[in-house]
Amino acid sequence: MPTMNLTQTMVMGLIQVVAVLILIFVMVPLLTFAERKVIGYIQVRLGATRTAGGHVGITGALNRGMWAMGKVPMLSILRGLPVFVADILKLILKEDIIPAKAERSVFTLAPIISVLAAFGVFSAIAFYPGALFTFPARFPIVGGLPFMGFISDVNVGVLYILALSSVGVYGIVLGAWASNSKYPLLGGLRSAAQIISYEVPLTLSLLTPVLLAGSLNFKDLSVRLSTGADMHWLAIFPLFVGFFVYTTCGFAETNRTPFDLPEAETELVAGFHTEYSGMKFGFFYLAEYTNMIVVSCFASAFFLGGYYLLPFGLQRFIPASVPFLGQPSILFFFLKVFTILFAFLWVRATVPRYRYDQLMDVGWKYLLPLTLVNLFAAALIRFAF
Amino acid sequence: MFKNEEMEINLGPQHPSTHGVLRVKLHLDGETVTKCTPIIGYLHRGVEKICENQTYFQGQVWTDRMDYVASISNNLGWAEGVEKLFGIEVPRRAKYIRTMLTEQNRLASHLLWLATHALDIGAMTVFLYAFREREYLLDLFEAFCGARLTTTAFRIGGLREDLPPGFIKSAQAFQDRFLPCIDEYEELLTENRIWKKRTVGVAKLNAEDCIALGVTGPVLRAAGVPYDIRKAFPNAAYAEMDFEIPTRPEADTYARYLVRLAEMRQSHRIIQQCIEGLPEGPVMAKIPKILRSEVNEVYHPIEAPKGELGYYFVGEKGGTMPYRMHVRAPSFVNLQALSKMTEGRLLADVIAAIGTLDVVLGEIDR
Repeated sequence: MPTMNLTQTMVMGLIQVVAVLILIFVMVPLLTFAERKVIGYIQVRLGATRTAGGHVGITGALNRGMWAMGKVPMLSILRGLPVFVADILKLILKEDIIPAKAERSVFTLAPIISVLAAFGVFSAIAFYPGALFTFPARFPIVGGLPFMGFISDVNVGVLYILALSSVGVYGIVLGAWASNSKYPLLGGLRSAAQIISYEVPLTLSLLTPVLLAGSLNFKDLSVRLSTGADMHWLAIFPLFVGFFVYTTCGFAETNRTPFDLPEAETELVAGFHTEYSGMKFGFFYLAEYTNMIVVSCFASAFFLGGYYLLPFGLQRFIPASVPFLGQPSILFFFLKVFTILFAFLWVRATVPRYRYDQLMDVGWKYLLPLTLVNLFAAALIRFAF
Repeated sequence: MFKNEEMEINLGPQHPSTHGVLRVKLHLDGETVTKCTPIIGYLHRGVEKICENQTYFQGQVWTDRMDYVASISNNLGWAEGVEKLFGIEVPRRAKYIRTMLTEQNRLASHLLWLATHALDIGAMTVFLYAFREREYLLDLFEAFCGARLTTTAFRIGGLREDLPPGFIKSAQAFQDRFLPCIDEYEELLTENRIWKKRTVGVAKLNAEDCIALGVTGPVLRAAGVPYDIRKAFPNAAYAEMDFEIPTRPEADTYARYLVRLAEMRQSHRIIQQCIEGLPEGPVMAKIPKILRSEVNEVYHPIEAPKGELGYYFVGEKGGTMPYRMHVRAPSFVNLQALSKMTEGRLLADVIAAIGTLDVVLGEIDR
């Protein structure tokens, strides 16, 4: 990598931050659209179809094409795609109500904390371990510099991400408390208990790959785990258990079914965000979906092979000389991210919701001992073999 | 410095899972319910008083608006109660058609219960699966009487008209596809670990308490008491039908779920027998244009999907309207059990208990 002066560093940083923000702002609405559609199809209905784009744009062309082929365009999965634009517009344009008895400053601060914590995590996530492309020399300032697949290469990236993602719960708890209302208060209490309980097994389950690969750097860790450099073949087992525990805790951390107690709509109306409206609610929503993406990125990078095709050190059986399959690719990374995001939606459509005490049982009585045993097994494999 | 006090919270009347306008006043200690008081009356229209000011023919329309998800059962109770008051004998074909429609309506009601109960507990897909089948049943009702919900399906003395052409064929088509649908719901719920965790041992109400509180229907049968009006005091054509009364000994939410699902299979069986054994003949008895009663009183119970639905009529000499009409609404009586079921349990169990009692507020408030 060519050395950069201060201006170049700042401009490159800005470009990459904006690129990641754009990625988030594209993925989150697409994820909500995917949620409508995936759950719709699982539930023998069509999901959003009404906002079909009429006769213009991509969906318009698709619809016309289907009519031309003599088919009713009802089943076009892209029908209803403009709904996400409408969603965003609605959230932005809606009246922003602060309840009269709410604690105004905290009420406003809470969604900001949530969303900042969720976004901040992305600064240490690597979507690709190297340069994606190099800016041509004719560009001012950044000419000749590589565009990396990550914002910053923090050597304790995993620690940073874990620390920052636990800050998000403050947003929920403060927002719930500041609403000065009963249902949000209950939701906030549930959320505090839940996220703190699941933080422990989540962190411990992430220690398994950290221990096995011996790195805290996001991309190094991911690369070592998939290529299996100096990893014993037995490491597959603790990694597999770790993956199971991590995804379970990930569902709990992001308040998704079957752990969606803080916002259980049939019990607590809307849980912690009952009193929120407009873009403040939108921020909570954005934070939840961003967290889903974060969890998926983590699971993808550490347990499913990240930038390589095969996980758990199996990649070493495909020599690097094989084109595409043997090489790291951003496509593999996102393929796995989308698979896990799909699982989020799938689970939501399938299972009921836990009760508060049962949720605590699952966290403390099953997941925590399981991760501790697993961590011990990982340590044994690392140092005994 | 710190106070430790119970929180009083109003669950409803506008709440996603109180099935209408039920308001439950809860005292919460953390998430534990210490006191639970159902407050009703938001939907009160004075149906009983209105019916005392209308002729026996007109009154039936109001029964649709009581338990609006099982209006045909309500119609049956009214029609048979009035027929008992005047000693009218209904033709056999009409009895069969009434039985068939009532059972189809029981299916529709149980499907709605399954849908909302599962949704309350968080399983949202079952909701739409159950509504898919219920739609088909509502189409059948629409074909029969022109209305999907407020049916006013029967007339005193029989039926206004015979079945429309093609009705039996559509009903049979539903019969053929319905059993696999029940299996589909069971696949999603019966062995689902989370579903079992949320329902097994939750909102228990044993047989003694059920009887002391007057609770009837699937809740009583799930406590092991095989009391079903269709067997105990057969009305319509139930005496000629071959069916069983499913019971469970556990008396919890899960047992009620299993009992209701088994009841759906039994209803399916009864409908099949009605379709196959449907006799020929008239559907309307000869009755006078104006019914004038003697001094007389009648209590007529039927097995509605929610439990024992009773109609009580008092006739006055020469009157064309009931002197007094009273409805023993199963939801109203069953709702009494809510406090007993939920006190000392968690907030989420209140939601499960409301769902498992299968209350309809139109019937409670009348």
